[in-house]
Amino acid sequence: MEKLITAYTYIGEGKVVVNKQLIFYQEKIATFAEFIKALYKQEQISYPKFYKMDSLSKLGFMCAELLLRHEKPGRFKPGSLAVVLANSSSSLETDLTYQDSIKNRSAYFPSPSVFVYTLANIVIGEICIRHSLKGENAFLVSEKFNPRQLLDHVSDLLDNNRAGACICGWVEILGNTFKAMVALVEKENDGTLKTSFGSMPFTEASLNELMNLTEKSIWKN
Amino acid sequence: MPSRIFVTGLGFISGLGNNVQENLNSLLNLRSNIGPIRHIDTNLKHELAVSEVSMTSDELMRDAGLPDDSAYSRNALLGIIAAKEAFSHAKLDKHPGLNIGLISGTTVGGMDECEKYYQDFLTNDSKNRFIETYDCADSTEKIADHLGLKGFMTTISTACSSAANSIGFAARMMKAGKLDCAVAGGTESLTRFHLNGFNALKILDKFPCRPFDATRNGINLGEGAAYLVLETEETNQKTGNPVLCELVGYGNACEAFHQTASSPDGAGAYLAMKKALDMSGETPDAIDYINAHGTGTDNNDLSEGRAIEKLFTGKIPHVSSTKPFTGHMTSAAGSAEAIISILGMQQGIIWPNMNFSNPMPELKFQPAGEIIRGVDIKLVMSNSFGFGGNDSTLIFKKHGVH
Repeated sequence: MEKLITAYTYIGEGKVVVNKQLIFYQEKIATFAEFIKALYKQEQISYPKFYKMDSLSKLGFMCAELLLRHEKPGRFKPGSLAVVLANSSSSLETDLTYQDSIKNRSAYFPSPSVFVYTLANIVIGEICIRHSLKGENAFLVSEKFNPRQLLDHVSDLLDNNRAGACICGWVEILGNTFKAMVALVEKENDGTLKTSFGSMPFTEASLNELMNLTEKSIWKN
Repeated sequence: MPSRIFVTGLGFISGLGNNVQENLNSLLNLRSNIGPIRHIDTNLKHELAVSEVSMTSDELMRDAGLPDDSAYSRNALLGIIAAKEAFSHAKLDKHPGLNIGLISGTTVGGMDECEKYYQDFLTNDSKNRFIETYDCADSTEKIADHLGLKGFMTTISTACSSAANSIGFAARMMKAGKLDCAVAGGTESLTRFHLNGFNALKILDKFPCRPFDATRNGINLGEGAAYLVLETEETNQKTGNPVLCELVGYGNACEAFHQTASSPDGAGAYLAMKKALDMSGETPDAIDYINAHGTGTDNNDLSEGRAIEKLFTGKIPHVSSTKPFTGHMTSAAGSAEAIISILGMQQGIIWPNMNFSNPMPELKFQPAGEIIRGVDIKLVMSNSFGFGGNDSTLIFKKHGVH
């Protein structure tokens, strides 16, 4: 059974690309917080919980938001959409913030609202809460982007009917260095899947291509 | 693919006692040990009621014959006692060549020692041996060492559903042919950190908890460890162990509603119970007893109660929460309550939901207020629900009934 990438979001080098379209660009990025807030505002997303999220969750949330915003509600059966994300720094960005708050005996202010984000898979939780996803999920941590691992994990879910479709990709942030690529993978059952960017099989090569978008693979608005 | 999973060993330590028999005696005598904090050095000492294992960590160390300069978290110490009891119960040491897995749930990990010495770690070398105990997997590795297990082991941290998920995961591994048998359950010790965390959520009661009561006002935290030995049918033919009961269903669902709270309609609780029931192939009418998660919080008991009413549209089985006995053992709750349910099945007893007096206006059913003896219990359902609606249900069936 063939599996296709039917939508994707790429965030890197100040560019935000959704399904081959460059939708946002900041040449000079001061901080991640400003960058992601500007993107959130431009896209006119209204989800107040966004503001209390940590950086990793904001990054993953925006990727999923841009990926799913044009989907018709009800296209995926409840419990059928899985989420498999990966990165290399886990939740270190927030772990460090939390550690800062407890390192001094005199200024010891652990905050529960920071603490709850000191796990990498909370970003998946935020995405699931936003889109009411009740399917399988996993967060993988590996030193480098590992398309083979994603391919194996997602293929296993889809091939064994443990999921009907899967959101998968890479969401990495540490300090103001960040990169994300999140794709929607679906099974091609009857030749009816259509995308605006041509047919893209779910392969290592496609995942690598999306992680390293070149100018020619981006349409500028 | 082996389809049947038998329970052949039990091990249990809690505030009620240091082994299965002591726990059973306390249950039969309706003895709870929920009371003031004795072991933990906290300024909440007089604010909260908890259930602590009677021995201090130093006493547990001495009891296990461990040298003073070794580093053991209380989680590891409690886990070793309960896992050893289950292991010996099933005489697993007498059957060399079995591929035995260890799956242990814990979420607190080694916080108990690390929170005492955290500020000293940079300057005091003598305490640095505790740093490695912080990781949740440390207690699992120490338990494996003490049982002499060198095969598959893993640690599951899904808060209050950890131990139930360990049991479900062990069954999956066995059905997939990856293990012949498994020691599965969970261990959790009380620490300042999670007392403070639950306290910050304002869901702890300073009085004994009252699950499913209209006046319920929160949780009493508890501690302890509980493990089950699970064998496939094929392995059981080799060991010849008496079968205590069969694990016929398990289900886990995540409801994607909120980071900590359960949805008011109990969507996750319903899904978990439904999945377990579907796997068991039984109808809702066949369930004789539900050991509810029943924490005593507003949120849990309402959503769990509604989910029970949604699934059991006909007659609602006997329901009770045994947390007024043990306190909420968080990551060990799933296996502790599985054992309590199995003991009830063996004794023909429906455990009472202690401290219940005022029915909840939102629910049509009431929990078992008194102990009920002489009941033929064939099927029990045990619920364990974690933060964020990570909900799990186990179903055990009396052996030899059809």
